[in-house]
Order: sequence, then structure tokens, then C-alpha cells
Amino acid sequence: MAILSTLEVCLEDGFVYAILAMGFYITFSILDFPDLSVEGTVLTGGVTCAVLAEMGVNPYVAMILAFVIGCLAGSVTGLLHVKLGIRPLLSGILVSTGLITVNLVAAVVGNGGSFSGDGALSNVTIARSSPTIFRVFPFTLLPETVAQVNLRKLVSFFVIALIVKLLLDAYLKTKSGLLLFATGDNAQFTTMLAKDPGSSKILGLALGNGLAALSGALIAQSRGNANQGMGLGMIVIGIASVIIGLSVFGKLRFMKPTTMVILGSVIYQACLGVASILGVPSAYNKLIMALLFTAALVLSGRLGRKKQEA
Amino acid sequence: MLELQDITKKFMKGTPDETTLFDHFCFSVQKGDFVSVVGSNGSGKTTMLNLICGTYQPDEGKVLFEGKDISRLPEFKRAAFIGRVFQDPKAGTCSDLTILENMALADNKNKPFGLGRGVNKKRMDYYRSLLENCNMGMENRLQTKVGALSGGQRQALALVIANMTELKLLILDEHTAALDPKSSERIMQLTDRLIRESGITALMVTHNLRFAIEYGNRLVMMHQGQVVLDKAGEDKKNASVDDLLTVFNSISIESGN
Repeated sequence: MAILSTLEVCLEDGFVYAILAMGFYITFSILDFPDLSVEGTVLTGGVTCAVLAEMGVNPYVAMILAFVIGCLAGSVTGLLHVKLGIRPLLSGILVSTGLITVNLVAAVVGNGGSFSGDGALSNVTIARSSPTIFRVFPFTLLPETVAQVNLRKLVSFFVIALIVKLLLDAYLKTKSGLLLFATGDNAQFTTMLAKDPGSSKILGLALGNGLAALSGALIAQSRGNANQGMGLGMIVIGIASVIIGLSVFGKLRFMKPTTMVILGSVIYQACLGVASILGVPSAYNKLIMALLFTAALVLSGRLGRKKQEA
Repeated sequence: MLELQDITKKFMKGTPDETTLFDHFCFSVQKGDFVSVVGSNGSGKTTMLNLICGTYQPDEGKVLFEGKDISRLPEFKRAAFIGRVFQDPKAGTCSDLTILENMALADNKNKPFGLGRGVNKKRMDYYRSLLENCNMGMENRLQTKVGALSGGQRQALALVIANMTELKLLILDEHTAALDPKSSERIMQLTDRLIRESGITALMVTHNLRFAIEYGNRLVMMHQGQVVLDKAGEDKKNASVDDLLTVFNSISIESGN
């Protein structure tokens, strides 16, 4: 039974983090922008969703708002980089650092506190009676658990990841989506099309962070709270999932990159699951993550070199 | 149609290494001209193109286009009427996108890039006909990623793409320099044909003195931020590579090269 429940956790986390990873697919893979602001925006999404849930807002509205706020945070990263000429890594660090305060204040105020900002009650707990996607239509049509597997959670995460994937696929086929690829590949080309490559970058970063926030909103609903440590390690999870997915399945021409990213995310979580089955204490998780990330980077580097040799 | 007025451009401004490339430089191009520009490295040819395209802004002076001052217009806005083909064949196309996607993007130039379908399959025959003109076998490879093409093919594609929307000025920045002799010859012929067909005004920087002599109706030689030779019409037709080399060498000796 331990294996079954581990598998369940791997799939659940795999789907939730796949949304985050699809965000990184836009910023890291398409735009070639290592976006560190995500560490802050995941939590911002979580806090937004948790606070709204406590106010009794419909969870789908809360998730859309979390997405929008994530987009705003991402545009700030983009503006810092494009308009002020700050390097990508630093722009991300600036935004994620600034968001620490934003998240704290939002959490405190969300808990009914004042702006004193002493950090008390920095966690927002979603009460058992507050609306989450597990407690409103349509996923309430599903039985909550089947054979001790939390079916409702698993299916809802899968469906939401799938919807995000389909929407993203559709978007990437539009003119605006194609321009995003062009900007990441060759910004000069975008300039030659009489379009500002900076605007395209800002748009991509907005979308990437919007998806990160959406993923944070789901995590908060699943855990029943948004706490200040939620963002830690998100960059590694996201980028590693993208790299694993694209390097393992990259040669399959029929498969869409977004599908590869989702599978990459599940594989990544499965590796962590295997470690836990083998009895590795969870304190080692972050170290394992870093090692997996290194392995993924080396693997993709090797594939890249092979391509060049061919 | 294009006029550089009293341009001053300094590099490494405010440092001990400050150099002045252009000091009250003036240059103009008439509508319908095809100007070839030659000159040694560091003579200011590419900087001039960068000033025209908006990659750099002048420290002083104005860039006038059809009488309008465009000196402060950002590069991407100038691209609406100025097309540019670079020396590096990779610069004019996107390697990760297919030929079709590259052309579809170019086809949408000067229109909004919204949520409409990126690639319009109905336009494929049109794209094929444009590629057929290049005679490089690209017309049957629309779904190929541009990264898989040869330098010559990519440059031909870049040229076609630059000319897909109506332009007022075409800038050719040593666009045959990175190619083998045969490819560069083909690209030059293709360039000439495209320019003749559309009657577009063109400015070509080249290190190939023969191309500079053979093509275009005006020939300019630059040196240390100044025009040292400017031949048009009959004068240009009678010029030979040897004449150019003589001037070139005398300049080089002067500057101690």
C-alpha cells in the first residue's frame, strides 16, 4: 500500500508542478530567461487563493485572480529587465525578494490582522468549510476516495493541468505565440518584424509567472494552507522538470513540448517518490532535487552535443 | 530620401579611450538608388548602417527619412519601412522555427500579432513561389527547421523575408561576406533581381570590390568616418576594381596599415 500511496503523491505533485513547469517552458525554454521570480510568485498565488478562499470566493475565481496577480509580478520582472536593463537573474531576485514582503502583508491582512508587519500569523490556513476545488462543482461529482486513493484530488489536478496544457498549446500556435518563439530564438528577428522584442519578453514572463501562481494556488488548496516556505525549491523543480521532459522525449516528433514537460514533471516527482520508498528521510529531499537537477542538466547537455556532432 | 545631417558619433564616451568616428558627417541617398559602400574595417560603414536603422543613436545631428526626423525613433519602429539583411545568415531568420513559420511571421509584419492563427496554410503556395525564385530547393522544404539549412539558403531566405512586405529602404550589411564564393555570387544575383523588380532604394556595404563595381548605380568609399570617393552614373560605370584598389592602398599607406 505504501507504493500505491507514493504513486498517488507522485502523480498529484507531478500534475501540480507540471503547471509551474509549463511556465518555465515559456520563460526558460522559449525565451531563454532563467526566471528566479517564480520562487515568490508560487507563494503569491498560494496566498491569494487561500485568502480568497477564506473570504468565501469561488475557488475558480480565486485561481484566475491568482493567475492574474502572478502575471503582474512577472511583468514587473520583465519591466526591470527590459526597461531598466537589469540582468535576468537579478531582475528575478529583486522581484522574489520584494514579494516576500508582499506575501507576508497579504497573509497577515488576509488573516484579519493589521499592517504592523511583525510577521505573526504569516500562514494562511484554509478552513475545512472554505471553498476549494475539492468542495465545489464539478469535482464534487467524483467520489472523494476510491480504494484509499484520493481520486478527487488526483483527477482534478490532472484535468486542470490538461486544460492549462491545451490552452498553452493553442496560444503557442497563434501569431503572438509564434512571436514569442521568434523573440527567444533571435530577438533581432522580432525587431525586423517591426515589433518590440522587449514587449514580447514581458508578455512571456507574465504568462510564466501566472502559471507559477496558478500552481501555487493549487498547492495551497491541496495542503490546506499557504505558508511562507512554499516557494523554496520551486525553481529547481520547475526547470528540472522542463529539462528532463525535453531531453527524455525530445526526439519524439509527434509529442508536443507541453506534453513532454508534464511527463518530465511526473518523472521528477517519481524519482523523489522512489527515494522515499527506499527510506531516504525527507530532509534529504532538497539535496536529491539538486542532484536530479544536475543530472538533468548533464543529460540535456550531452544530447545537445550529440546533435551538434551529427 | 535619406539624409544623415551633421552626424557626430563617439564610442567609449567619457572614458580615456573615447574615439570619435563621425565628426559632423553628412551623407544622403536618393530615392531609387542602389548604393554600394566599401571601405576598410573601422571606416564607419557598419556604424552608418546602425545609425540609419536605429541600432545606435547619434550623439549629435539628425537622421532624416523622407524629410522626417527619425533620429529618436527606436529600431523596431524604423523596421516598419527599413529592411535589413546581416552578414551573419543566422541573424535574419529563426533557426528553431520552420521555413513556413519564419515566412508566416514575416508575412504578418506591420500587422498586429494577436491571437489569430500563426500560420495561414492558404498562403503556402505564395511562399513556395517566392522560394522558387531563389532556385535553392527550399520550396519543397517548408516544414524544415531553418537551422538545418546551409548558410547560403538561410541568407536567401533572409533576403526573401526582408522583402516580403513593402519596404522603402533595404540595408544590406556585408550580406555575402560569410558565404562561399559560389553562394555569395548567387545571393548577390538574387539581391540584384529583387532590387530591380521592386525598384526599392538600397544601401549595400560590401568588402567585395567587384560586387561594388558591378552592381548598383552609385559607389561610395569610406575612410575614418568620411566619404573619400563617391561615384555615380557614368563615372561609376567606368570604374574598375584596379581604380578602387589604388585608392584603397593609398589610404591604407596613409593610415599606416
